[in-house]
Amino acid sequence: MRHSVNRPPTPDAAEDEEKEPTLQEIINIKLIESGEKERLMELLRERLTECGWKDEMKALCRAFIKKKGRNNVTVDDLVHVITPKGRASVPDPVKADLLQRIRTFLNSVI
Amino acid sequence: MSASREDNTSPDAQLSSHFFGDLLDSIIVDIASECHRIAKLGLDRNLEDEEEELRRSTQARVRAADPSNSGETNSKYVVDIFGQTHPAVANEIFDCMNCGRSIMAGRFAPHLEKCMGKGRKARLKAARSSTTAQNR
Repeated sequence: MRHSVNRPPTPDAAEDEEKEPTLQEIINIKLIESGEKERLMELLRERLTECGWKDEMKALCRAFIKKKGRNNVTVDDLVHVITPKGRASVPDPVKADLLQRIRTFLNSVI
Repeated sequence: MSASREDNTSPDAQLSSHFFGDLLDSIIVDIASECHRIAKLGLDRNLEDEEEELRRSTQARVRAADPSNSGETNSKYVVDIFGQTHPAVANEIFDCMNCGRSIMAGRFAPHLEKCMGKGRKARLKAARSSTTAQNR
């Protein structure tokens, strides 16, 4: 009865949403498959480095590490340290540019 | 998609924001992981140097506080014309006027090298990134 031997049996408790990908998931897959996600990420990385954002984040990390002692720090700690400031301090033109490119991509696949 | 709604509430904008956040989060994790690695492997010389300096100044303070040490630290019993012996490393302690730390006189030159040399670089870097951030 089952065609694919590799697929594990779908548990009865699974919600319907698990079988049907959301729009977000579909778009994510298209982003990755087309290589656009990689391009966008590299572009964002470059922009954030140019404007000194990356250096600011690294400085935050080093300050935290100095305070806590370098053997008591986890990657998770650092992520929590820089995420709020990081998200808030992306320069507007950089953010606008990326959002525009993403929107262009969305319009091209929908 | 729907052009009639405002940018921040349309599903199109929400979706874009979601993906932007996704990209940003990945980049943040990369940076955190890079800094973590550098710290753990001891590749950040500034961190190491400061730790070592801290150790040395506490050591120096202990040595200076112990009077029996003054001539013997270097097993060279140098006597000057007044018959005084001096420790090989000057052990008077004072505060660095640049960073405010307690430094032993004999270690002041190398300390200044790092304190002003690298400190200048750090200040330059900070000034550069803050001016480039301001220029945006």
